[in-house]
Amino acid sequence: MSGSSRSEVKQPTWLHGLLSLIFPGLGQAWRRDTMRAAGIFLAVATALAIAIWYHWRTGQTFWYVFVALLHAWNVWDAMRVKGAPIFLAALPWLVIAYGIGWQATEVDPMALVENWERSSSILRSLTRPDFLARNTESFEGWVSVEVPCSTEPPLAERMNANGIHIRVSPNCAAPRETLIVVVDGLWPDHPTQLTWHTPIGDTQLLGGDNFNQMLVIQSDTEGHLTALIQVPARALTAAPDPNAPNLHKVYVSQQRELPGITFSENGRYVVQGIYETLAMALLTTVVGAVLALPFAFLAARNLMSGNPITMTIYVIVRSFLNITRSIEALIVAFIFVVIVGLGPFPGVLAMIVHTVAALGKLYSEVIEGIDPGPIEAVRATGASWLQTILYAVVPQIIPTFTALTIYRWDINIRTATIIGFVGGGGIGFFLWQWIIKQDYRAISSAFIAIVILVTIMDFFSARVRERLV
Amino acid sequence: MLRIENLTKVYPNGTQALKNVSFEVQEGEFLVVIGLSGSGKSTLLRCINRLIEPTEGRILWDDIDITAAKPRQLRAIRRQIGMVFQQFNLVKRSKVITNVLSGRLGYTNPWLSLFGLWPSGEKQRAHRALERVGISEKADSRADALSGGQQQRVGIARALMQEPRLILADEPVASLDPVLAHSILGYLEMLNQDGATVICSLHFLDLVHRYATRVVGLKDGLKVFEGLPKEIDRQRFKEIYGEEAQEVRAATMEAA
Amino acid sequence: MLKRILRLLLQIILFIGIVMAFAFSVRVTDPDLGKLFSSSAQARQIIDPLLRPDLVTRDSETRFLSLDFPVPCGSAPEGEALGSGPRIEIEPGCAEVGETVLLRGSGLPENTDVVVRWRLSSEGTLSLQRLTTDAEGHFELEVQARAIATTQEGVAPQIEAEYTLPGGTLHLSQAFKDVINEIFVTFLMALLATTIGTIIAAPISFVASQNITRIGCVGSGAYYLSRSFLNIIRSFEVLVVASIFALIVGYGKPFAGIIAMVFVTTASLGKMFSESVEGIDPGSIEALTATGANRFQVIMHGVVPQVIPDFLSYIIYHWDINIRISTIVGFVGGGGIGFYLSERLKSFEYAKASTAIIVIVVIVMALDFLSAEIRKRLT
Repeated sequence: MSGSSRSEVKQPTWLHGLLSLIFPGLGQAWRRDTMRAAGIFLAVATALAIAIWYHWRTGQTFWYVFVALLHAWNVWDAMRVKGAPIFLAALPWLVIAYGIGWQATEVDPMALVENWERSSSILRSLTRPDFLARNTESFEGWVSVEVPCSTEPPLAERMNANGIHIRVSPNCAAPRETLIVVVDGLWPDHPTQLTWHTPIGDTQLLGGDNFNQMLVIQSDTEGHLTALIQVPARALTAAPDPNAPNLHKVYVSQQRELPGITFSENGRYVVQGIYETLAMALLTTVVGAVLALPFAFLAARNLMSGNPITMTIYVIVRSFLNITRSIEALIVAFIFVVIVGLGPFPGVLAMIVHTVAALGKLYSEVIEGIDPGPIEAVRATGASWLQTILYAVVPQIIPTFTALTIYRWDINIRTATIIGFVGGGGIGFFLWQWIIKQDYRAISSAFIAIVILVTIMDFFSARVRERLV
Repeated sequence: MLRIENLTKVYPNGTQALKNVSFEVQEGEFLVVIGLSGSGKSTLLRCINRLIEPTEGRILWDDIDITAAKPRQLRAIRRQIGMVFQQFNLVKRSKVITNVLSGRLGYTNPWLSLFGLWPSGEKQRAHRALERVGISEKADSRADALSGGQQQRVGIARALMQEPRLILADEPVASLDPVLAHSILGYLEMLNQDGATVICSLHFLDLVHRYATRVVGLKDGLKVFEGLPKEIDRQRFKEIYGEEAQEVRAATMEAA
Repeated sequence: MLKRILRLLLQIILFIGIVMAFAFSVRVTDPDLGKLFSSSAQARQIIDPLLRPDLVTRDSETRFLSLDFPVPCGSAPEGEALGSGPRIEIEPGCAEVGETVLLRGSGLPENTDVVVRWRLSSEGTLSLQRLTTDAEGHFELEVQARAIATTQEGVAPQIEAEYTLPGGTLHLSQAFKDVINEIFVTFLMALLATTIGTIIAAPISFVASQNITRIGCVGSGAYYLSRSFLNIIRSFEVLVVASIFALIVGYGKPFAGIIAMVFVTTASLGKMFSESVEGIDPGSIEALTATGANRFQVIMHGVVPQVIPDFLSYIIYHWDINIRISTIVGFVGGGGIGFYLSERLKSFEYAKASTAIIVIVVIVMALDFLSAEIRKRLT
């Protein structure tokens, strides 16, 4: 409120108070103090809306007291020459907004403490990212066994190509029956894992009382091993007809560490996710920037304000860009996933849509802000329309366009890291799987990879933009 | 009252702003420092209240070594030294009265001033200070709504709040036109007559002749002159400001 | 000359590099534009309901017509059909198990959906068929008496026809009410997150400003520490943080979303604040230091008044951003409108999802406008 508007302010009276009593801010508006009036109206309206909403949701009426206080303040303010102190109005508003906000959003700092064990276990695994693993070498063999028995079961003996010989007797069994496994040709004196593979590829464990542990047996000095195993009770549950005999497999495998480190399985997914993310960001930025150009010209007021038809186009394009921009790419991605299925493609489509909307608006603002001086000057030399565009308009907008595009690329990298959460590809896709599986070490490696990626890109894009502008 | 001994300042980039400068200031003097831009005038003034840390040398304030003062002691010394700046250095978004009151920060309870609560005595003092520089009616305006001359008067009022024994004025009139220059220097002279010692850096020779009781001349960080204003003739002037500057400077001065 | 050639060469290399990266990107992401057209069936399945948002419902009255139908015959009295008005009749009025009878309805509203079902003596129901009346408000249906629907303890099963009377007043649908409810939660989530973020970011931003802190060894240390802190949390992706906190505090709780938003808000407000602090007029710091004020007083009286308008404008700007963010943190279990939307999308209730999207668009655009206006006034 500048000094000049103050001097125009009429002497406040009970009339202003009455007006404000009827409608918050009306008295102030009558005094020509429009900014204050608008502020007061907004404050009372939002406070009332929140209070009504909370009343409707929970039945609490207590909060209306503060709305009444705020309204009373508004009347008082209208009646005072210098206005009432603003902090007295801020107080009830803040009480309503934060009081209700605190309850409605279920802010519960205790949840962090109560779930401390959980969070600390999460945090602990977060410090051990699953990205690299030691090189390992494995030595494996298998043999098929018929379950349940047919009249003529095939021989349960197999010589594997790597020299592991396995014999299981008898040749067939029903669930819960015991089999003798004799293996030769293993690495001597080395722990050996035995597992059961059903015909549908399901792996079942053979150790422990409830068959929920890995069965590990040490091979002897000749690389020989004899073990008793029980056919898992659930070996047949997934089969279409539990009574039909099927070939199951008994697997033996040995593993040893080799010198050197390599990516772990999840680490490889992280790498794949990162380059998918980068690829998505680059693709969407380039395609989005190109597609945004025509929209930008159609949404530039100074180019379109010539006649009613172009003005209509301007309004339509502008509104289209604004509406599209206010729907987050993630939401659009979800819709595209339903249409074209999982993978990077729906993510790319959604990001292109959002990029076109955002860049279209930013570009159009650049076009609206160009200096008409050079255009006039070039036109004065007798240049054609195209020449005018080439020599007066393009040089003005190119650096800013480039800077905005790089800025958008930066944003798209961030978006591409999370678009996979709804199935849109990139590292987010893997990350979401790990979050569902609660594989915190894998989450950690993805998280760290994203942090590094974003930091590097941030730095890089800031430097490039600095040089451009 | 103030003795400067072998003061040297070397900036981190290697610039030698002051080279072994020594002089003494007596109580009640209006000492003017002259010299070209970059001759070390601002550095010299800022070394006195240690806004800039001197590299070598000592500054004695009533036999207390300012250069060796601990932070708390330094603040106690600073509050006795008012400072007036070329660019006024007001908090532009704050009100004039707030700016003036901020001159009192060295005296007040930091917690009270934090919330903008000032004892009424301080407020009265601020209004009196504004009255003395003749702009009491602007107390509730925002500082950036004032003209340059008015802003400088607020700057002086702020220095006044400190009840300073010494006022450091760093080119207080360089950003103002000549008429305003006389008015601002008039206020400084008034304070000087009320008992405050003034150290002021100036550009224009006629202002030096008019206000100074003593003059120190700096050139490239060296003290090249110390004496009475009337001793500065064309020859001296040429020594301080260099050969080429002479004609231009002289012309400017006469115009002023 | 050589320099120019080198520069040209560099530009060509850069161009080729970009083209190659682009080609690689196309290969990796494998965009299949044909799929976009070939999957029009799926598209219609989601776009159609999205275009028909569930905003209003018509007040409708559900009516029931029922008739006792003893099985087997004689186990209970037969129901008597009404002579006029909406009515159902059965021929014959009773049946043995396995026999088929004809159910006829008449006097009903035209072209209206009717659900026919058994109301068993045990109070349970058994749906038979959903059909539509003809232009005269008439329908016919063959019904087979089944063993499950027999008279028990002297109570005959009933055949029941349910239909709704059209008309009544328009009023807001339940989905719309739910969405409004969630919008309030979202608004408050953004408000809380912005506030908490500001409270954390403001002090940090002063420490992370060169002109305030970077003096002496301790100061430089604090400066670099706070700077790196802000830079690191700036690269935390909000959805990732939200999903991790959703695991800790509970899936679908707005609190998880708030925590995630506090992270982003702190990071970006901290950066913007410190840039604003670094951009202040150093003169007033100098002047206040010269009066003998301590460092704290210099900040409170010399720096804070200068940066307040900037800070306010950034806070409002970020509140706007937080509203946008809170429309998506729900997708990973962060609560608010995003959670509602993702749950509706996951359960194929696209019309309700559409309601949420429309309200999101309206709210985001309105707040965008409002925050831009307020910021314009501030500076």
